[in-house]
Amino acid sequence: MQSSLQIKDLQLYRQGELLLSLDEQIAGGEILTIMGPSGSGKSSLLNWLTGILPNGFTATGEVWLNDKNVSHLPTHLRHIGVLYQDALLFSHLSVAGNIAFAMPQDNKNSAEKLNKKQRREKIEQALEQVGLAGMENRHPDNLSGGQQARVALLRTLLSAPKAILLDEPFSKLDTQLRVDTRQLVFEQIRTHKLPAIMVTHDYSDAEAAKGKVIHLDL
Amino acid sequence: MSKNTNNKTTKEKVHSATITGITAPYKTDLFTRIVSLSPTFLLLLLILPVLGGLVCVLLPAFSWVTALEQTTVSLQGFHDLWQTPGLTQMVALSIATGLLSTLLAFVMTLMILAAFFNSVWLNRIEHLLSPILVIPHAAAAIAVGFLIAPSGMFSRLISPWLSGWELAPDGMFPHDPYGISIILGLTLKELPFLLLMALGALAQPELGKKLRQQYKVALNLGYYPITAFFKAVLPVLYPFLRLPILAVLAYASASVEMPLILGPNTPPTLAVTIMQWFNDVDLNLRIKASAGALLQLALTGSLIALWLGSERAIKTCFNGTLLNGKRHYADALWQKITAALTTVVIGFILLALIGLLMWSVAGFWRFPAVLPEQLVLLHFQSAFTQMSTPLFNTITIGIVSTVFAIVLTLLCLEAEQLSQKPLSTFTSLIIYLPLLVPSIAFLFGLVWLQQLVNNQTAFFNVAFTHLLFVLPYVFLSLASSYRRLDPHFAHVAASLGATPAKVFLQVKLPQLFAPILIAIALGLAISFGQYLPTLLAGGGRIATITTEAVTLANGASRRTSAVYAIIQMALPLVGFILAWVLPKYFFKSGKNSSR
Repeated sequence: MQSSLQIKDLQLYRQGELLLSLDEQIAGGEILTIMGPSGSGKSSLLNWLTGILPNGFTATGEVWLNDKNVSHLPTHLRHIGVLYQDALLFSHLSVAGNIAFAMPQDNKNSAEKLNKKQRREKIEQALEQVGLAGMENRHPDNLSGGQQARVALLRTLLSAPKAILLDEPFSKLDTQLRVDTRQLVFEQIRTHKLPAIMVTHDYSDAEAAKGKVIHLDL
Repeated sequence: MSKNTNNKTTKEKVHSATITGITAPYKTDLFTRIVSLSPTFLLLLLILPVLGGLVCVLLPAFSWVTALEQTTVSLQGFHDLWQTPGLTQMVALSIATGLLSTLLAFVMTLMILAAFFNSVWLNRIEHLLSPILVIPHAAAAIAVGFLIAPSGMFSRLISPWLSGWELAPDGMFPHDPYGISIILGLTLKELPFLLLMALGALAQPELGKKLRQQYKVALNLGYYPITAFFKAVLPVLYPFLRLPILAVLAYASASVEMPLILGPNTPPTLAVTIMQWFNDVDLNLRIKASAGALLQLALTGSLIALWLGSERAIKTCFNGTLLNGKRHYADALWQKITAALTTVVIGFILLALIGLLMWSVAGFWRFPAVLPEQLVLLHFQSAFTQMSTPLFNTITIGIVSTVFAIVLTLLCLEAEQLSQKPLSTFTSLIIYLPLLVPSIAFLFGLVWLQQLVNNQTAFFNVAFTHLLFVLPYVFLSLASSYRRLDPHFAHVAASLGATPAKVFLQVKLPQLFAPILIAIALGLAISFGQYLPTLLAGGGRIATITTEAVTLANGASRRTSAVYAIIQMALPLVGFILAWVLPKYFFKSGKNSSR
C-alpha cells in the first residue's frame, strides 16, 4: 500500500480572515516544503494537521492519511509525528527512556510483543545508526543540541508514525550540524517511506528536500 | 537581637552585594545593608519561635515545670498519657482523617489536572475554586456541618419525597465517630489549595511552556490525554507539589478547628484532646499535655515520612510502566468519572455556601422545607451589636501582621536579586516550617516563651504569632511575581544613576502593584482565619471573628454561627475585591487595562 498524506481543500482562517488555502497530496518518502515569512500561517498549518488549532483560528478541509479520513480524530489517534525546533526531550527520562516511551507496545511488524530486552536492543541499534552509540543512560539535558535533535528524531521515528511534520527543526543548529542532521532526517524519511511536510524559512533546507516547494504570502 | 552575632556574615553579604550586585558607591548605602540582612532576619524569625516553642514543650513533657515547682525529670507525663482512655482511638482518628483527606484531595487534584489539562475548563475550574481558598477553615467547617447535619440541606433536599422523613432523623453526621465529616470538610478545603498550587507551578513561564509542549509531544506519539499527563507531565510537576502536599498533610493530621466543629467528642482527635488538657484549670495536666504534644509531633512526622517513603516506592514500582509504551488506560472512562466528581465537588461547595447564607437570614424554618419560611435580618443586626470588638481586633491584627510580612518578604526577594544568588533550598524549606510543624505542638511553648519575655500586651503577642503563619503564604504568593520582573528595567535605571533604593521604590514596586495587593489580601485572609494562635497567644483575652465563630459553632444557635461564618468569608473577599479593582486605577500597565 502506498503511504500518502493528503490535504483536501484546506482553507485556514485567522480571526475570520482567510490565511491560506492548500490542496496537496504527498506520497511516502516525499517532502513538501512550506516557506513563508512569520505570520503567514506555517505553524498554524501544522497545528491543524495534528488537530490542535488554537482559539482564533478556524478551518475547513480534510486530512487524509493512507486513504483514511483522520480529520475528526483527536491528536493522539492520528499517528502523525512532529519534530519541533526544540528537541523537547523528557527530562525525567534517560535517552533510552525517551525512545522507549515512544515505542508502541506491540511491534507492528511481527505478531508478538517485544519484551523489555528486545526493546532495549532495538534502541541500542537505533542509537548506533545515528552515531550516538553507548548513550542510552545519559540524561537528555547533558547532550549537545545536535545530539538532542538526533534523539528527538529517533523518538519520533520509533513511534511508527504514518506521516511526519517538521516545524523548522534545524533552525537552532549551527551550519555544519544543520547539514548533517538534515541529511540524516531526510534519509530516514526516505527509507521509511513517510510522507513529510517541512516548514522552514531557509532555502537550503528546501533545496535539500528535493520536493515540491510552496511559498505562502502574507 | 541578631544583628550583633551576625556582623561577620553581614559584612560578607554586604561585600558580595557590592561585588556582584548592581553598581553601587564604594560604601554601600543603608538600603542595601538592610536588604542584605533581611534573609537572615527572615530565617531567624521563622526558626527561633518554632524551635523555641518546641523546646519549651519538650521540658514540661519530661516533668520539668518550674512554675509547678517540679524540677526533677521524670516520665510521669508520658505515663499519664498512655493511661488516657481511648488514646488509640484518638491517634487512629487523627491518622485516618489526616491521611485520607490528603490522599483524596491529592488524587482529585491530579485527576482534574489530567482530564482538563489542555482544555479551557481548567481555567474555569480555577476561577470557581479560587474563592474557596480564602474561606477560613472554621467557616468551611460550619458550612459543611450544616450541609450534612440531620436537619441540614441534604436531608431537606431529599425529604420527604425520597426519604420519607417528616421529622429530622437521628443522624450520625456531623459528629460521627469515624471522622468522615472531618475528612469531608478537610478534603473540600484542601482540594482547591492543591489545585491552585499546581496551576501556580504551571503558570511559571519556563516550566509551564516546557510541560505544555512535552504534553503535545506525548499526544503526537499516540498517548491518550490522561495517560499523557500521568506519564509525561506529572513526573516533572510533582516536585513542585511536594511541599504544599506535606503542608496539607501536616495541617490535616494536627488541626483543631475542623475536628472541634465536625468531629466526634468521645473521643476527639489527638490535637483537640491536647488542647483541652492545656486549657484545663488543673495545671498539672500541662505535663500530660506537653507529652501529648510530643506524641502529636511524632504522629505528624511519621505521616510525612510515610508519604515521602511512598513516593520513593511508587517511583521505583512504576518506573517500568513509564517506559512500557502503553498509551491507553481506559482514559475515556476516567475522563467521565473525573467530570462527574468535579461537578459533585463544586455542587457540594455551592450547596454548603447557599445553605449557610439561608441559615443566616432564616426566620422560622421547619424541617422538610428547602427554603426558609421567613427571611429576617434580625440575626445580622443582633450579631453586629456584639461584633465591634472582635471585628476591630480581627482587622487590626490582620493589618499589622500582613504589612510586616509583606515588607519583610519584599526585602528578602530584593536581597535575592541584589546578590544575584537564588535563596537556598534551606531557606525555601524554612519558609514552610510553621506550616509543617503542628501548631498545637509549638504554640504552647511559644506562648510560654512570650510570657517569659515579660510582654504583657496580648495584642503584640497575637500579631507576632499570626505573622508566623501569614509569612509563608505571602512569600509564596509574591515570590513568583518578583522573580519574573524583567531585570533590564533595573539595569537601565541604575545606568541612569538611580540608587538601589530608588530602583526598588520607583521601578520595581510599581510593577508589582497588583501582585502585592493580592499578597496583602491573601495575608489578611490567613490572619482572619487563625484560631489557635489567637486563642493561645492572647490568653483568651483577644476575641476575633474566628474565635467567636468556633465558640458559637459548638453551642449557640445555628443562625448566629451562620452569620459569623459569613462575616468570616466576607472579610477576605473585600480584600480580594480591592486587589482586583485598585490596579485598574493605579499604576496601570498596558496589559492590565485590557482586562
